[in-house]
Amino acid sequence: MDDLDRELLAVKDLEDDNDSFDDNSSKASTKSKLPLVNLDMHAEPPRETGFHRSTRVCLEHIRDALLHHRWQEAAEYMACYPQMLEDTTNGPAQSYKELTWRISAEILHHHPKSKLEDYNNIYERMKHSGVRHYLMICLEHSFHLLLNGHIEEAKRQLSVSESWRYGKESAAQFQRAKLIQAYRSLLDYIIWCDKKFTHSSTEHSDFADNQDIRNYFRTASVNLKEILKNPGVWDPFILSYVEMLEFYEDQEEALKVLNDYAYDNSFPPNPNAHVYLYQYLKRCDTAEKKLMKVLHVLVPSHELMLEYSSFLLQSEKSSDLQKALGVVLEMLDFACWRSNLDVWKRLEAIIQKLQLEKDWKDVVFTKMADRQGWWPALHFTNFHASKDSEENPELMQVKAPLTKTLCPDLTLKYTDWQAINGK
Amino acid sequence: MTNTMDYQKLGLLRQSPTSGWLWSSLQQDLYLQASGQRGDMVSHGASTSSPPAPQKLCPLAFKPPDPQDFTEHMQNFFMDHCQDAFGSMSEILNEDLIFKQGTKKISHIDSVYMRKMESLIKKGKLKKRPLSFPSKVLNAYGSMLSDVLPAVPPALLGSLLFEELKEQRERMLFSEAATGGALAFVPFSQRSSDSQSGCLLYPGNQGLDCLNFQRVELQQHRGTPPCLNTSSSDLLSFQLKAPIRQISTASLIDNCCVAVRSDHLVESGEIATCVSVSPHVLGEVLVASESGAVDLWTVGKGMQRVREEEENLYFNAKSSWRWCEFSAHPRVMVYADRTGVELTDIRMSPVSNHTLFRISNTPECRSGERLILSRYLADIHPFHHLITTQHSAYIMDERFPCVPMLKWDHMMQSPPMFCHTFPGSASSRTAKVLLGSHSSQEITLLQYSGAPQTQRQPETPSCPTPSPPGAGHQQTVLTADGGGGYFLPDPGHEQSHTPPPALEKNIISEINPAQQPPQSLRLISETSSDEDIIGPTQTQSFVAETQEEERPEMDIYASSNESWSQRKSHYMKNLQLQVIVNDNDNEDQVSGLDSGLNDETVSGLDTGLNDETVSEEKADIPEEPSSVEEKTSSSQKLSDGVLVTWKQWLQKVMQKSHKNKPRPQRRQPFKITTEELIYLSSDDEARKEDSAEKELVENVRRDLRACMTNRSLLVHSAVSASLGDQEVVEVPNAVNTDGWGDPMSERLTVSWQGEGAWKACFGSSLSYQSDLSDFSDLSGWSSSASLGAWSDSEGGLSQAEGSVGSGIPGAATPSSSQTDTVVPTLEPGNQTPTSQRGNQTPIRNQTTTPQRGNQTPTSQQGNQTPTSQRGNQTPTSQRGNQTPSRTNAPPNTPKPLDSTPAIVRRSKPQEDYLSALFAPQDDPSLHGGYFLEEESPVLHAPPPVASSSSQSASLRSVRSGFSQSLTPSQSSQGRPGLSQAPLAKKKKPRMGF
Repeated sequence: MDDLDRELLAVKDLEDDNDSFDDNSSKASTKSKLPLVNLDMHAEPPRETGFHRSTRVCLEHIRDALLHHRWQEAAEYMACYPQMLEDTTNGPAQSYKELTWRISAEILHHHPKSKLEDYNNIYERMKHSGVRHYLMICLEHSFHLLLNGHIEEAKRQLSVSESWRYGKESAAQFQRAKLIQAYRSLLDYIIWCDKKFTHSSTEHSDFADNQDIRNYFRTASVNLKEILKNPGVWDPFILSYVEMLEFYEDQEEALKVLNDYAYDNSFPPNPNAHVYLYQYLKRCDTAEKKLMKVLHVLVPSHELMLEYSSFLLQSEKSSDLQKALGVVLEMLDFACWRSNLDVWKRLEAIIQKLQLEKDWKDVVFTKMADRQGWWPALHFTNFHASKDSEENPELMQVKAPLTKTLCPDLTLKYTDWQAINGK
Repeated sequence: MTNTMDYQKLGLLRQSPTSGWLWSSLQQDLYLQASGQRGDMVSHGASTSSPPAPQKLCPLAFKPPDPQDFTEHMQNFFMDHCQDAFGSMSEILNEDLIFKQGTKKISHIDSVYMRKMESLIKKGKLKKRPLSFPSKVLNAYGSMLSDVLPAVPPALLGSLLFEELKEQRERMLFSEAATGGALAFVPFSQRSSDSQSGCLLYPGNQGLDCLNFQRVELQQHRGTPPCLNTSSSDLLSFQLKAPIRQISTASLIDNCCVAVRSDHLVESGEIATCVSVSPHVLGEVLVASESGAVDLWTVGKGMQRVREEEENLYFNAKSSWRWCEFSAHPRVMVYADRTGVELTDIRMSPVSNHTLFRISNTPECRSGERLILSRYLADIHPFHHLITTQHSAYIMDERFPCVPMLKWDHMMQSPPMFCHTFPGSASSRTAKVLLGSHSSQEITLLQYSGAPQTQRQPETPSCPTPSPPGAGHQQTVLTADGGGGYFLPDPGHEQSHTPPPALEKNIISEINPAQQPPQSLRLISETSSDEDIIGPTQTQSFVAETQEEERPEMDIYASSNESWSQRKSHYMKNLQLQVIVNDNDNEDQVSGLDSGLNDETVSGLDTGLNDETVSEEKADIPEEPSSVEEKTSSSQKLSDGVLVTWKQWLQKVMQKSHKNKPRPQRRQPFKITTEELIYLSSDDEARKEDSAEKELVENVRRDLRACMTNRSLLVHSAVSASLGDQEVVEVPNAVNTDGWGDPMSERLTVSWQGEGAWKACFGSSLSYQSDLSDFSDLSGWSSSASLGAWSDSEGGLSQAEGSVGSGIPGAATPSSSQTDTVVPTLEPGNQTPTSQRGNQTPIRNQTTTPQRGNQTPTSQQGNQTPTSQRGNQTPTSQRGNQTPSRTNAPPNTPKPLDSTPAIVRRSKPQEDYLSALFAPQDDPSLHGGYFLEEESPVLHAPPPVASSSSQSASLRSVRSGFSQSLTPSQSSQGRPGLSQAPLAKKKKPRMGF
């Protein structure tokens, strides 16, 4: 099995390569030499046995059939192709293994007569043809089972692969193992949900104490808790974990998990984490101030910013009002909110409240200062006017008066247009 | 194409229709290589006689040229193009060599050698050891002559070829200049469900230096594959000065901006690597160059340096390729190079940067993987970006930086550098991303769901790893056979129900940063003044769009009523302005702008004329309330060419007059409405033609030509035969200038006495110095008939000056000392305007005279009666006469006028009308550099050289007219301020014949 060692070595090489970028282009010219995918992949190698030639031709036929969606033909060719895997004279057989795996799966996905057994066959066979893709193939296999509704079977697959070990664990192997673990826990959660549902429809009382179901929770939560410590994006997992914790009223743990997820700097910046935290806090009727603190760091284009602005609007402090103005203006910068009636109405409300103060003009001016150059073109052209009047006349009614407030120095075509055509 | 250019670079090849290197360009392969592969040179020579069909490019089997083959290329060149290779030297040696076979062209050396050479060729030894010969004598001659015989020393040729082949090989393997793709489709509104029409933009010509707009219609019939119908319209193409590398478009509500990138940026000579049009703000363009700088070009306001990065972002990839895109926020830019992508917030200074994508941080990044393309997927999802590498394609959410939402292995052999996207629609939820590669011509369609149609709910990326195949994402690989370089994305059946865009989209501006006349305009674009860079039209239009100056309302709906042909007329205009004015709003703004730019001295007439131009273009829009009949009739008569020429000419005049003067307070723009001005042109009586008259016209024309060739004067007797009996025109009474006491009139009066007098008069007044310099400038260039750089409008202008006699355009007021027959009654007519009377006159004369020059046979009627000749001097009548002439002329190539008739005019004023009237339309000497110089205020700039134009860094000034249509209210109310209306009314009876 020195073959396997070589494969693992290859994996390692691949990962190590990431750091050695600088030395692959030696030419000093300004044009970079872009490392390209080998163009001669299909060209005839210099010394070729008859066997190699026939497999190469076979691969070309398969490719051709795939591209023209002739699945039956491709499947027939494919039946012969795995001979390639048994060839020992060929050096790096790795690419052929991946090729076989992917092409087979692709054909099965499209072939009209493919059955689940065929999938199982192929996956099992491919899993054991080499170690490098074992985990990935397992994951794919279980996904396929899931898609076909075989949850238990999928979970069994994942459990098997979870316990799979080979040699020294590489970084990629470690990541994939974690992923498999996470998905296994997710399946635990799904089963837990199912049981909860069936249970709650029959008996109402002692679900929380049901040991069988609690076991699912326990296995899932232990795993998830562990996994969620690894930096990454774990959105669906964390949601299911929090839901289970909430069900068993472990509020502290839920809050801690969500807080860690949102504020741990080793995690990639994840706007969803803040949203989850906010939603959780809202469910727990947390004070507005805390909610605002969460929203404060959210991406400015998020729809929750509308909520944030309403909090700020209700606040007594005048600085909050200015902040609200800034928040809404920033929302309107973004393409997705530009013709949103709610946001414009909120802006209107903010401005109305702001106008009660003396220096409101200065406030608006400072907020609009760096927008003067492009806001008119962004919102207030006559194209916008005609579009708004056609699609959303109410929006126009809100927008038009605001133009004077926001851009007092400019005569905007938006209002002119309205004056002439709007009525 | 490539070889063509290469050999031109080497100065080796003459273009000849039979030579094979023309066709071989289709394969992006050197001809010489192709022939070399065939082995036998003799048979190859035979094979080139019939041009072979381009080889089919198989995506799997295309082979880049091998630089080591340069000897074969040289050999083939020597054999197949011996005239080019040895021609010059053999001419010299000719006398010293003995010819025994004089018939063979190739035998510039004597026959003995020829035979030996032939035998050598047959043996094929030359191929392997080209410099050693078996025979002693040959060897001796060889060593003696090998240096001198070829026109290009073999060593030099060899090294150049080697370099070239190497470059070609690299370019073929990966041509990074082509990143982004030069194919764009702008859909129009969708009326019926099974046909989708739009405008296809693509580069044409072999050199890819021709920008084509073509209306295409996608037709989908059940049971048949969808097909593209291009027959419904003709092609509009614009010749640019360098190959088009990238076309970027962005649609905003009902406008579409198009930016075109060629190789170079203007000021720095930097190679532009990216151009990107803002999907947020009309007229904003990002331009990235190899220096690592990204500029935000707000058209009309100039460039703003957004970011500058000397190094690569994350590691040294030794690449100067840069890319830029917009993002969901109009002031946050995406900056990319081969190593990663950053989001740059330009609101702060210094700008703040956040990593969006970093090549080494992605999972399963492979060795040597580099970023190929970054694309903001605005129409799929406001926050999504596509990033491709050689191996993978990623979808990134900019709110969630560093973590790809999605990763595909695109499985393409060549890196995907083109991308088209189709947003998901109601019937198909998945968004589609079509990737294309440059050299191997693969295309791959990737689909993903999860880009919501309702943009309220931001998509949350959920999976930290590459999404497993089969889990909801499909990938279809389509491979195209060889053939065309580009493929129109086939939307497939799912796309047939794409919701139509809300309004019709029009091409409003073509922005071409790399295109510019090489010499003169470049100077100007380096100045700080935006107006100079961009040109008036576009400056104002964008200002209008962004800053909303006071300006009358526009009718934006008019655009939807525009017919294609009308749109075409706008294109034509833009062709010459390098601006695409395609919107009614544009029209309005153009005209508004024009009038706005006018100095007070000139404003009156220009405004009028300009408005008229515009309104005539708009003439067949039914929404115009007044004088419908006139408009419709005028629209029949005015061809596109007329409008183009006209407008161009006017703009030139205004640009000229505007120069060095502060922008004046804008007056009410639409003082003149259409109907009076085009009344005569639409007058049926004036246009009545029968065959006899046509014949007459031909006769007169012939006479005129005869006069010109004989250099004789075109006197009445010369044409009277063909014209038949005519009433003798009375010489009008001398003008009494005593009554005109204001300074301007006095000056004008003086000016009739000649340039010296005029200058003396003007020189006394400092306030007119600038004007004077302008005018003298004008007279300077106009006096030279050989000035090829100017369009016919200028030609007309120069003629005008010539005809006026003083060389000063402003001096049209007739004085008694002149025999010129400027109709006296006209002058009062022109000066009726109470306010700008003095100032207005010169310009009016400027404008009228050239039109006289443009007159054509139709106006001959006018010449038959003296009154009508006088009538010809009124602007209206000339316009009427002008129309047919321009219709006759090819619309795309307005022809300069010959100035000869104008000279005639001085001595024989009476005939001048005729001469001007029947002036030949074409003077080849005036053609050169027409396009190059037309925008250039520098007058005597040398005509551009082709090579320099392709290589010079140039920034094409954008003249995107955002002109606007006349709204009904304007056309009816804008009139009274200026005097043209009454003036024109006065003229009417004159023109009634």
